[in-house]
Amino acid sequence: MIPKQLREELLDHVASAVTPREAAVEVMRALQAFYGWLTDEAVDEAAEILSLSPLQVEELATFYEMIYRRPVGKRVIHLCDSISCWSAGAESMMAYLRKSLGIDEGGTTENGIFTLVPCACLGNCGEGPTMLIGETLYGSLTPERLDQILEEEREGVRCLDN
Amino acid sequence: MIEAARKAGIVIPHFCYHPALGSAGACRLCAMKFLEGPVKGIQMSCMIPAQDGMVVSTTDSEAVQMRSLVIEWVMLNHPHDCPVCDEGGECQLQDYTVAGGHAIRRYKGKKRTHNNQYLGENIRHEMNRCIHCYRCVRFYQDFAGGDDFGVMGRANLIYFGRKDSGVLESPFSGNLVDICPTGVFTDKPARFRARYWDYDMAPSVCPHCSLGCNTVPMARYRELLKTTARFNDKVNGWFICDKGRFGNDRVNSPERPRYPLIDGERVGWDEALEALVRRVGEVTRQYGTESIALVGSPRMSLEGNLLLGQLAACVKAGLLSYFIGAAEGEASMAASLLVGEKSRSMAEVREADCIALFNCDLLEEGPMMALAVRQAWRNGAKIFLVGVSSPELKKLPFEFSAVDLIDEVPFAGCKSPVIICGTASADISAVRKAAGAPAGVTFLFNAPNSFAAAMLAVESQSPAVSEALAGGKIKAVIAFEADIPADLPVGVELLAVADWMPTDVGRKAGIFLPVTSHLEMDGTFINNEGRAQRFKKVMNPGLPIKGLDPLLHPPRVHGKTPQGGDVRPSWQVIASLIERFGGERVAEPLDGKWAALRNLDPEGEGTRIS
Ligand code: SF4
Ligand code: SF4
Ligand code: FES
Repeated sequence: MIPKQLREELLDHVASAVTPREAAVEVMRALQAFYGWLTDEAVDEAAEILSLSPLQVEELATFYEMIYRRPVGKRVIHLCDSISCWSAGAESMMAYLRKSLGIDEGGTTENGIFTLVPCACLGNCGEGPTMLIGETLYGSLTPERLDQILEEEREGVRCLDN
Repeated sequence: MIEAARKAGIVIPHFCYHPALGSAGACRLCAMKFLEGPVKGIQMSCMIPAQDGMVVSTTDSEAVQMRSLVIEWVMLNHPHDCPVCDEGGECQLQDYTVAGGHAIRRYKGKKRTHNNQYLGENIRHEMNRCIHCYRCVRFYQDFAGGDDFGVMGRANLIYFGRKDSGVLESPFSGNLVDICPTGVFTDKPARFRARYWDYDMAPSVCPHCSLGCNTVPMARYRELLKTTARFNDKVNGWFICDKGRFGNDRVNSPERPRYPLIDGERVGWDEALEALVRRVGEVTRQYGTESIALVGSPRMSLEGNLLLGQLAACVKAGLLSYFIGAAEGEASMAASLLVGEKSRSMAEVREADCIALFNCDLLEEGPMMALAVRQAWRNGAKIFLVGVSSPELKKLPFEFSAVDLIDEVPFAGCKSPVIICGTASADISAVRKAAGAPAGVTFLFNAPNSFAAAMLAVESQSPAVSEALAGGKIKAVIAFEADIPADLPVGVELLAVADWMPTDVGRKAGIFLPVTSHLEMDGTFINNEGRAQRFKKVMNPGLPIKGLDPLLHPPRVHGKTPQGGDVRPSWQVIASLIERFGGERVAEPLDGKWAALRNLDPEGEGTRIS
């Protein structure tokens, strides 16, 4: 269950939205940040906060690809496989990530740090191949840059854990 | 544009468009070539409002090709297996696939597949057959206000269902079966029992409450397999409720009485009718005709109830009654008398701008009325719930304000206010109050022909049965399709019952006469609004083949009717009793002022009689 304070903050947020449904993404993101992914319990809590049915929250949760309805690693890599990135070499970036992380698309590394998913367009087409980790957008990817980014992200997780 | 073409007699193929749900532009099947006018080229006809000066072609080769490609594309993931699909033969997708000329699968890739959900005992889910037209979710959530079924995921993962497997909660869920243009939702009890061309079907009227929603019941081998909605703009629109759709068992019930009985012994019709006349004679000689009670019923057809009046005159019966309880009788009679010009149809409720719910539990007494109120509410109508609301009422599919008294509802300033008033729990003063308020009225009764029964009761000034029985004068009770209590006073010496349903009082009857259900005869019901509607015979009566002992089938007994099929409509039984009691032969039950209803079109809108 989420802490009382978070719940109240979210209820306030919903109250100030024009319609509760409008606040759904914010609420789901907050719950996801708390649990690490949008758990079944979180769907029910979101429904209650938003005065929607759990199904109606599920409709939205499964529509947005950055709402996770399954457990994910601490860092989720969204690598764009849409047409601009694909023509700039996204396929080989995906292959490189698969190899260096030792996971397939949809998989999570054993240490629980990374989850790898393809996505369709991050709006950064001019700088393909592109990926998003957390709220950071990385463009013009190369294998060398990927090594460096993965290391930085690992470092970030280590700092947080300590 | 689709509607404009329909008016001109041209059908434009479509999946996602539905007259009650509007356009979605999702399926791309309604593509036409716009040749002249403000828009040009290939366009979705459901998304373009028709205008003067437009020239549009359905047969243009580019449009035809587009539509055939859309079909092929829609069929990419759809199983090519109509012969083993229960929808086959009544499937829009199958029709348009054939029409589009898609016969050979070119796509060699894997089809996307889904797990199905358990949605209850009435509806079967087969998600692989989905073509993403969104009709189901637009109906379920937008039109009907359900919130436990919807659309999840996106792109190829899109899934129409519940969050988790489980029984669909909406009392209108069965409409998914009708509106899904393919076989994702099928009527579970009827699955794989028959193909469309096997069914016995006819235009009919729902008997499960007083609203008179229009239906097409579908039967085979004397078994009612399923019931579907039939369009009537003035009454139910396109849909029906689950009570009406899935309440099919009682017609097929093995408990149904099928043979005339005298003191529990099976006899022929002549014998039973003769015995009835003889026993009535005996009671008459001893106590006079004053002691004879004839009981009609709000669930019997208009024809039967009308002739019962003639029979009562013939035997000079002391009592002719149409209602059991005094309260129900009084409230119904008052309502039928008071409503007149103020009576509002379900169509008018859908258009109302202010609605007061007075003394009624909508989802219990007339579920489709709740759906009508929801449409008014979606269009901005204010809804008021008068009096105490029980927790059950919270499930109503619209928002409402609660007020204590009907006088608090702000009817003034509204263009088309309506009061919906139940008669089940209402006392007569509530009925008067509703009729007297400055608004249209829609009363809800408890049976499909309550309105007719009430009109006849008013004409003949009949008291309720319970009152008369309590008086102790009645010695013979002859009841047609009436739900009288089985514990009659001891003084009653003759009990004759005609019914098609197994009732306790029927089991106690000295003379029992089996009659047809409304599916096995033509007839007329008058709905809550005062609208007479004709229902047609759907199937032949008789024991359903399913359930017969295979060792005894076919029966090696020679006869002209199937086993258990020698039952007659109540009005015919009453007509032959009239003759036997010395009255005139009845050729046509609708006579006098009712003769106008003889030519009622079963596929029309019905006729308001008050
Ligand atoms: S389930 Fe049926 S009605 Fe719903 S989107 Fe799929 S094809 Fe359309
Ligand atoms: S609302 Fe009444 S008449 Fe209409 S389908 Fe339901 S039970 Fe039948
Ligand atoms: S009916 Fe027009 S796009 Fe589906």
